[in-house]
Amino acid sequence: MIALVDCNSFYACCEQVFRPDLLGKPVVVLSNNDGCIIAANKEAKTITEIPMYEPVFKIKDKLISHKVNFFSSNYTLYGEMSQRVMNILGTFSPNVEVYSIDEAFVDLSGMKNISLKKYGHEIKDTIFKNTGLPVGVGIASSKGLAKLANKMSKKIAENDHVFVIDSEEKRIEALEWCKIGDVWGIGRKHAERLKNIGVYNALQFTELPLQWVRKEMTVVGERTWRELKGEPCNEFVTQPPPKKGIGTAKSFGVKLPDLERIEEACAYYISEVSEVLRAQKSCATYVQVFIVTNYHSNVDKQYSNSRTVTMDIPTNDTFKLIAAARKALVEIYKPGYRYKKVGVNLTGIIPQDYVQGNLFHQPSKLNNKKLIETFDAINRKFGKATISSGLVGTRVIEWELIKKERSPRYTTQWRELLKINSKHLPNPLQKGNC
Amino acid sequence: METFTSGKLTKVKSRHEPSVSKQTGFASPATHYLEPTIDLNQELVVNRDATFFVRVDGDAFKEHNILNKDVLIIDRSLSRSFDALALMVQDGQFKIRRIPFGFSEEEFTVWGIITYIIHYAR
Repeated sequence: MIALVDCNSFYACCEQVFRPDLLGKPVVVLSNNDGCIIAANKEAKTITEIPMYEPVFKIKDKLISHKVNFFSSNYTLYGEMSQRVMNILGTFSPNVEVYSIDEAFVDLSGMKNISLKKYGHEIKDTIFKNTGLPVGVGIASSKGLAKLANKMSKKIAENDHVFVIDSEEKRIEALEWCKIGDVWGIGRKHAERLKNIGVYNALQFTELPLQWVRKEMTVVGERTWRELKGEPCNEFVTQPPPKKGIGTAKSFGVKLPDLERIEEACAYYISEVSEVLRAQKSCATYVQVFIVTNYHSNVDKQYSNSRTVTMDIPTNDTFKLIAAARKALVEIYKPGYRYKKVGVNLTGIIPQDYVQGNLFHQPSKLNNKKLIETFDAINRKFGKATISSGLVGTRVIEWELIKKERSPRYTTQWRELLKINSKHLPNPLQKGNC
Repeated sequence: METFTSGKLTKVKSRHEPSVSKQTGFASPATHYLEPTIDLNQELVVNRDATFFVRVDGDAFKEHNILNKDVLIIDRSLSRSFDALALMVQDGQFKIRRIPFGFSEEEFTVWGIITYIIHYAR
């Protein structure tokens, strides 16, 4: 059997753990740059006048009039809390597949003579007690069904956030309850087609002949079909495959016209992605850089371009990658535009042990290796971007993301610990009150 | 024929090892008694995934010997046993109380059990 454990309104709940005064109140979390709402708890979702994914500036008045508490995204906090949840899951099973920041599949095979329902409750209660985060647990014989069981655990109150599909009746009940568009692995296009031929729920889908599913929806559809019948087809993946490409692109806090500031941002993003590259012991062959202006704006002139540079030898050296990216940026930069975003992508990623030299270039004899190692060690110890390439500059603030309402990094920064006092006033760092 | 050396194969030891004295060649008498240095993370934090640090702001908790700027180590996984010092939440506000006899989480909810109080002495 397989359990799918996922956290309810994860980002909002992470904020509430440290702000019990907000329990039971509407909380939303904004995207990078405070652009739009990316997460809301159930209290906020019940306020129907607040549309998700709308730009915040359009709905700010509504948020305030409904007393919705909003936070800038604090990924440092969410990532750390997620790690705790996953570690706790690791005490319940030797095989845990982290599926996303807030959900994981837990392998329960071989567990005999225990009540899975009880075990599910134990998982849920332990995570809540140890971290303060509420989770839902769905248990079934395949991943697809576990996903469905998880949905049922939340949507039907009497299930109390744990649901086990352990009999044919329960499987039928769950499939009948699940709308075709909500089935894991069936996208919107397929859902539309299926509705056109009279398939409205998951049960009806499983009653289709396999030949039809295979023909019309390929092997992916077949897998979904089999999984919903209780036959596991998706393997457990406990080791994520190394990334094929690593990139980042974020909008600037303000529009930037001059090359110098954009170079700084570009260098900063390169340092971010090259750190990821080194963490997975790989090197990149190509560096792509792109810049865009604000295409939502009616008054600004529009321009966008990108350029890819091939490295002489695949590398994960921040300084070499920054130099390459800078070259690309200078080539595509045109003065006279107000740029909104610069992005970098590293591709052609290979394990660092497989880097080959060529006739003209030898893999550098580790001359920068010590430097880079020291570099990473310092940043690990004293926090991100404590030291960086000179090109990154010190005026990060000018283009750095707007994170006006970010909560403290309670679990990773000694200076931002949760503060408790008797006066009941939120301390100055604790934002989120309107 | 020329040969090239590809560098030494010896391991670099960054720390002095008391078990071997380079000067005399005599083994240290402490060789068989070496133990890892005390690590507060190991001593004070039993369950890392359930442990949080919280800073006190103000003198409101003096009665529990908790002073301004102290840092509390809080283990959420511990059971709510009688008389344990706990960080609690009442009406959305943090309080520090000892768990009373026959406690039930109706009026108060327990946020976590305080295991250590770190006080800066200078």
